[in-house]
Amino acid sequence: MISAARLIIAVLFFGALAAWWVTEPRPLDPEDLPDHLADASAGELVFWAGGCASCHASPVDGNRAKDDDKLLLGGGLELDTPYGVFRVPNISSHEDDGIGRWSTLEFINAMQLGISPDKRHYYPSFPYTSYAKMAVEDIMDLRAYLRTLPAVSGKPAEHSLGFPWTLRRGIGAWKFRYLSNDPVLLFEASDGAVKRGQELVEGMGHCGECHTPRDIFGGVKKNRWLAGAPNPEGSGSIPNITPAGENTVDWSASDIAYYLESGFTPEYDTVGGSMVAVQENMAMLPKADREAIAAYLKAIPAVQD
Amino acid sequence: MYVARNLSLVIAALVLLGACSGKSENSVVAEDDEPQEDPRHERHELMEGVGKAAKPVGKMLKGEIDYDAEVVMTSLQTWHDASTDLGELFPVGSETGMDTEAAPAIWEDRPGFEAAITEFRKSVEAAMAAAPTTLEAAKPVVGPVFQTCKGCHDSYRIED
Repeated sequence: MISAARLIIAVLFFGALAAWWVTEPRPLDPEDLPDHLADASAGELVFWAGGCASCHASPVDGNRAKDDDKLLLGGGLELDTPYGVFRVPNISSHEDDGIGRWSTLEFINAMQLGISPDKRHYYPSFPYTSYAKMAVEDIMDLRAYLRTLPAVSGKPAEHSLGFPWTLRRGIGAWKFRYLSNDPVLLFEASDGAVKRGQELVEGMGHCGECHTPRDIFGGVKKNRWLAGAPNPEGSGSIPNITPAGENTVDWSASDIAYYLESGFTPEYDTVGGSMVAVQENMAMLPKADREAIAAYLKAIPAVQD
Repeated sequence: MYVARNLSLVIAALVLLGACSGKSENSVVAEDDEPQEDPRHERHELMEGVGKAAKPVGKMLKGEIDYDAEVVMTSLQTWHDASTDLGELFPVGSETGMDTEAAPAIWEDRPGFEAAITEFRKSVEAAMAAAPTTLEAAKPVVGPVFQTCKGCHDSYRIED
């Protein structure tokens, strides 16, 4: 007869083994790579749509980088969150302090699976949950573009997080629930502009990471997609940008596209706060892409404030 | 007699109340008792006027409505008046309250703020000097005015 104590120990032991197995980082294999010739100039558009510079460009005199400094991706920006302080890493082409030595496969594993070259999970403050929805070819193009940017020396310090967020391994379990290549929304009709807008908003633009509220585990609540959330960078809130959002309910698709291009609302107020950097990125895209984003935003479910 | 006395008490009370209420926006906030316009209120109204003047001009630049030189010149005048009055409306002591969107940078970097106002004023003056009568003439001189709006707001206005 097995005693109760031994049974409990056995359950705990096998439970721990199972948890260890479940949370194991599972990077892609080389065979998973498609046959695609990477295009650095296409990658430049991905760079702006993806907002890489907004986090990874080294701050200048305590402020966000502007103009050409946006291409100096030495990291160092600090994100003060309820989990602790995240410090953005160096992704310049520097071979030691940046990602100069990374293979394309390692880059894809990072961007879409949230796994580092030394097989550790990344924290989802790096929005790979959105980048997971991108086409692999776009990631490969981005890699080619990043190689053309300057090498910046200096490795920012590690994050300073509170317990239990220091246990990276736990992210493996979190990923089961919250990491997927599937699109957020399913559209019945396949309107070209809405489809392109979906790629830009749900994938590269990672708009949902700020504009969607999160549950207690920090995953986005899909049933309130883009319906607004508390500001992760401080006080106030990020607006609801579904068709029911009260700030933008009167905006036409061309108002949205113009706002992304110029930073002016239909009332000639100007974009502010965390959105300034985003709007400047969106202004770098072709007009058709901004119109696609607008078409998508007009097509998504209206969620009340 | 009682009625008359109570009535006069009530009237006296009402008169006192009327004297105290004054302009409701100011009485809660003003340090001294002078019934002057609170700068936070004034500058808010001023900027709203700037925005209202911007709307038709913006639509013309976007090609949504026909170009109207008179409307443009009126808006330019509104903007010019705003640019000359604006600097006085951010005194020390008006940093917070009344839902102001004025950023701390205005007081921390006063020279920078005043330079931004000057840029606004100069761009408006350049457009007024050009006095554009067509859309093509307006675009290169009026467009830059809008850029000064954005430039100043990016640094000196906070969003909630």
